[in-house]
Amino acid sequence: MAAALTLLRSRLCDPTYIHAPFKSSKQSNYSKLKELVSGTISDSCNNSALLLGPRGSGKVAIVDLVLEDLKAENPDSISVVRLNGLLHSDDTCALKEIARQLCLEHQLSFSKMASSDDNSQFMIDMLRECGLAHRSLIFVLVEFDLFVQGKQRLLYCLIDAMQTVTSQAVVIGVSCREDADQLLEKRVRSRFSHTKLLFAPPSREDMKSLVEHILYLPKNAGLPSEYITKFNAHVQNILNDKRFKQILDSLLCVDGTIGNLVQYLFRVVSSINLESGLLSLENFKNAQISCERQPTIETLQDASILELYILVCMNRLESKEQNSYNFNSIMKEYKSIHDAYRTSDNYGDTVCLRAFEHLLERELISYVDHRGRYLPVEFRPVELLISSHELYLGLKSNSSCPAILQKLLDHESFK
Amino acid sequence: MESTPTPSRPNLSTPVPPTPKSAALRRSLRLTSSASRSPAPATIAAADSLDTPRSTRKTKRSLAMTTDTPVTKPSAFAPITPESKRARRSMPSSRTPKRRVYYKKVVYDDSEFEVGDDVYVKRREGAESDDDDPEMEVCRVCFRENRTVMIECDDCLGGFHLKCLKPPLRKIPEGDWICGFCEARKLGKEVEFPKPPNGRKLRRTAKEKLLSSDLWAARIESLWREPDGTYWLKCRWYIIPEETAIGRQPHNLKRELYRTNDYSQIEMESVIRHCYVLSPDAYKEANDQGDDVFYCEYEYDVHWHNFKRVTNIDDGNENDKGVETDEDWKIPKDSDIDEDSESEELTRLSHSGQRKHESAANLHKGRIFGLEKIGIKRIPEHARFHKQTDLEKAKAMLLLATLPKSLPCRTREMEEITAFVKGAIAGDHCLGRCLYIHGVPGTGKTMCVLSAMRNLKSEVDAGTLRPYTFVEINGLKVASPENIYKVIYEALSGHRVGWKKALHLLNERFSNGSGVHKDERRPCVLLIDELDLLLTRNQSVLYNIFHWPTEPHSKLVIIGIANTMDLPEKLLPRISSRMGIQRLCFGPYTYQQLQEIISSRLKGLDAFEEQAVEFASRKVAAMSGDARRALEICRRAAEIVDYQLKQSLLSGRSSSSIDNSFGGKQLVGMIDIEDAIHEVFQAPHIQMMKTSSKLAKIFLVAMVHQLYRSGLSETTFEKLFTTVVSLCSSNGEVSPGWDTLMKVGCKLGESRIILCEEATKHRLQKLQLNFPSDDVAFALKNCSELPWLTKYL
Repeated sequence: MAAALTLLRSRLCDPTYIHAPFKSSKQSNYSKLKELVSGTISDSCNNSALLLGPRGSGKVAIVDLVLEDLKAENPDSISVVRLNGLLHSDDTCALKEIARQLCLEHQLSFSKMASSDDNSQFMIDMLRECGLAHRSLIFVLVEFDLFVQGKQRLLYCLIDAMQTVTSQAVVIGVSCREDADQLLEKRVRSRFSHTKLLFAPPSREDMKSLVEHILYLPKNAGLPSEYITKFNAHVQNILNDKRFKQILDSLLCVDGTIGNLVQYLFRVVSSINLESGLLSLENFKNAQISCERQPTIETLQDASILELYILVCMNRLESKEQNSYNFNSIMKEYKSIHDAYRTSDNYGDTVCLRAFEHLLERELISYVDHRGRYLPVEFRPVELLISSHELYLGLKSNSSCPAILQKLLDHESFK
Repeated sequence: MESTPTPSRPNLSTPVPPTPKSAALRRSLRLTSSASRSPAPATIAAADSLDTPRSTRKTKRSLAMTTDTPVTKPSAFAPITPESKRARRSMPSSRTPKRRVYYKKVVYDDSEFEVGDDVYVKRREGAESDDDDPEMEVCRVCFRENRTVMIECDDCLGGFHLKCLKPPLRKIPEGDWICGFCEARKLGKEVEFPKPPNGRKLRRTAKEKLLSSDLWAARIESLWREPDGTYWLKCRWYIIPEETAIGRQPHNLKRELYRTNDYSQIEMESVIRHCYVLSPDAYKEANDQGDDVFYCEYEYDVHWHNFKRVTNIDDGNENDKGVETDEDWKIPKDSDIDEDSESEELTRLSHSGQRKHESAANLHKGRIFGLEKIGIKRIPEHARFHKQTDLEKAKAMLLLATLPKSLPCRTREMEEITAFVKGAIAGDHCLGRCLYIHGVPGTGKTMCVLSAMRNLKSEVDAGTLRPYTFVEINGLKVASPENIYKVIYEALSGHRVGWKKALHLLNERFSNGSGVHKDERRPCVLLIDELDLLLTRNQSVLYNIFHWPTEPHSKLVIIGIANTMDLPEKLLPRISSRMGIQRLCFGPYTYQQLQEIISSRLKGLDAFEEQAVEFASRKVAAMSGDARRALEICRRAAEIVDYQLKQSLLSGRSSSSIDNSFGGKQLVGMIDIEDAIHEVFQAPHIQMMKTSSKLAKIFLVAMVHQLYRSGLSETTFEKLFTTVVSLCSSNGEVSPGWDTLMKVGCKLGESRIILCEEATKHRLQKLQLNFPSDDVAFALKNCSELPWLTKYL
């Protein structure tokens, strides 16, 4: 039981397992990328490719999978340099990192003191030496779009170094921006081979088989066989259920990537019934609800009455087309409401200011600009970040909300 | 296949006593080696000139024998004794005793040894008798040597007379040829080689001795005479595959040697005679040059036991030196070498024990350290298979990296560059001049200049032009514009200094010619690629660089390359007046030119349909005229076809009937080019919109709808939300929650299909389509998932 849970969880956390079914098909990105890289290794030429696709579509996972397989096929003829645009978008730092990883890979001693010229020279030397030794260097640039800032010296050096016969290297750029190759400078773009692999979300059938691939327990995992058959039968029942299909549809209509599905399944597995050790449709439903939470409305549910008052006041001010307002004008509105309706919720200015600051922290409201940074809070202009529709929903769901507030809001919106 | 006919030679040597076998383990491979057929020799010697059995080199040698030159007379090789030191220098020079005197060429025992030559060397323990040195290989059947044509077995390297074979051969067969003995042995039969007749022993040629490690081969690195008058040489050893750590690998050729990084100093007298270790290309051409030809493609590291391909770079350097120093090599050369060996030792030290910062591989000082470690333990099999099909050859030819032999369509520009450089440096006082070259990327600017310089270089070598120094710098490869001084100074003088110092020194050097040796006062051609990258705020770098040529003593010629046409106009007037006088424009290629470029690369290869090439070049010419792009497209198309072919072969193996139908389809056609163009020029955003999730599609349609209604390209999230909700409710979709829609919007923003502000702005977040709304309409018009979207587009 616990073993089964561990197995499922480890599967869900292991991108190589999840993407394994894509290995077999000829048209998948896996086989295309593998063909490209292995062609480079066997023909000892240079190549470059760009992998594009939304986040969570398994770009890096596929790259890892390909590299792992190729490493197994050609031992010690591949060395991989990984750079991340978030960390190494600076040219000097990226060159240093390349030198460091190459030194590590080849057990050379590395010096932190080397200048960037030294490092780039070292990289070119390494490219030549590795090319002569039939070793391929594979540069994986994650968040490729961030490397294009500045003069693109790194990319130019890399791609220009690959224009010789002796070197043997592949540059794989991974980006979620579809216009990543348009960002390249013209001379870099001219040298870049424009092989682009698009990562599209899988089709419904693929998704379904992926769910099966993940959730079915294997026969030979050392678990009791009757448990396995029972578990698998249960899962099969659920997968064939119409309601499950609905859940899956609504999940995928928001975000159809594999990453999203895996996250969802992880929630399902986490809420498994520990006594029976079986998945139920209930688990799937709950997980879907937890996936589709609306954080703003939930924040409004927990807001205090005074905070709700302030929000409603702001909403009223906005509907009066008063474009710029600050705490003091809100307080004036609050007072006028209070005067008009004689509510029991009358608080002093300091208490209101506290509530106001709390709203600022929760980012339900915010300052209009950063200009009056040295002004006291009361005088800085603010704006409402949530819409009246959300406010309406929030008020409705808040159990302690006084009726007068809802009426006020309704009144506003029907005017 | 390799049917290297060995030309017969006159029988000059006499039969000799049997050679005592040395204790080497794998000595006589020709007797043991059997099953492993090397795949590579096939292509190497499959060259055309099979019908001409006489080799060029051998012919030369035999010519030499018949004429009166004693250089290669075999008797000259006979017993080398210390007394017979008839060595004399080939070039006159002052005799300086008490010092080592270095030579480039030494005539020793009537044969000429030059630095860079390959020689056989005696094993020192030399049980081998050196007095027998059969120049001639005997036939394995009749054990006689005569002038008739012999054929070499590709497996055991034994030589056979054509007429001694059973059945006798009329002429040298094409392709591989294996003798009957080897063939039989392969089939598992016990074969006995014909015994030599009584009184004659099977003599072994130097080649056989070498390949059974009874002899050594080495390359002469330097030659000198010791103060005591003996001649020494420093040599670099070659080894046979059996002596490597990994032993003979199945793909090794029979005549293959590895170059090592093992140097030693030996006395001249242990040298026997010349052999010829050739690079793969040269070996291919020299397919029947006699018996002493060996093949060397890899270098073997004796410390790390790994392999590396040998480049021709060393040769290039040597040629350079050859041009410059025709005099005696100076003593410092020696200390240089000593340093080398010291540093090697240092490396080993640093690897074994303490690691010092100086020896870090990525430091400039540490450049020599450690890089020799990179190498492969085992040469991969695939590397030795040479390109077989036309398609694969075409792929290799279309690589951007492969330099074409000639540059079509740029003759005019080449001439202009050559004339410019010649005019600038040929004059006696060498006026400084500048040339500015501009053109869009991929029009062959740098390549033209480099090949023009190469041509000039050969003119210098031929002696028709004065020598000059050529410095090449890429503006994008220097860390900052100021660093270019450093790079220039290093290239000119070999010293590394800071850029300020370098600027100072360069200024001095160019303005009054101080600090320069006499021999360095030659004109300097400076090529600056990507010139526009050197632009600083006050443009001082460019000013300095372009000011130098105007100085009277500079002898500096500058060629600047950039993309923009009007770079001189963008610069300060004082710079543009200095650089903008002479310009050369590289226009984008027209489709005829592109077609010519591609077909010149594909000459002799039957891989592309003519229309396909034309289609690709027309397409590229219409877009950019970038030759790189055109080559890439063709290469990609070739890859696609190759991939398909291989797939079909794989599947065809199971059902062999399909094999034939696909086997014929070798040419790259229009469809493949179209595929490749589609891949290169496709805009991924349409595809991405098509495959995006349902909500994202609704989101995009709502944005377009909003755009049509309001006419404003920019909208806020609040407005968009109401539109989405109304779209959904009127078409029976579940309307999404506020935050869900926000998430979808952020995803779209991430992939830049829309442009949006950060999500903390919430309802005030501004949104804008990144593409024309027509693209969205095109992508989502006939969407099967949400057919109702069409009516809003």
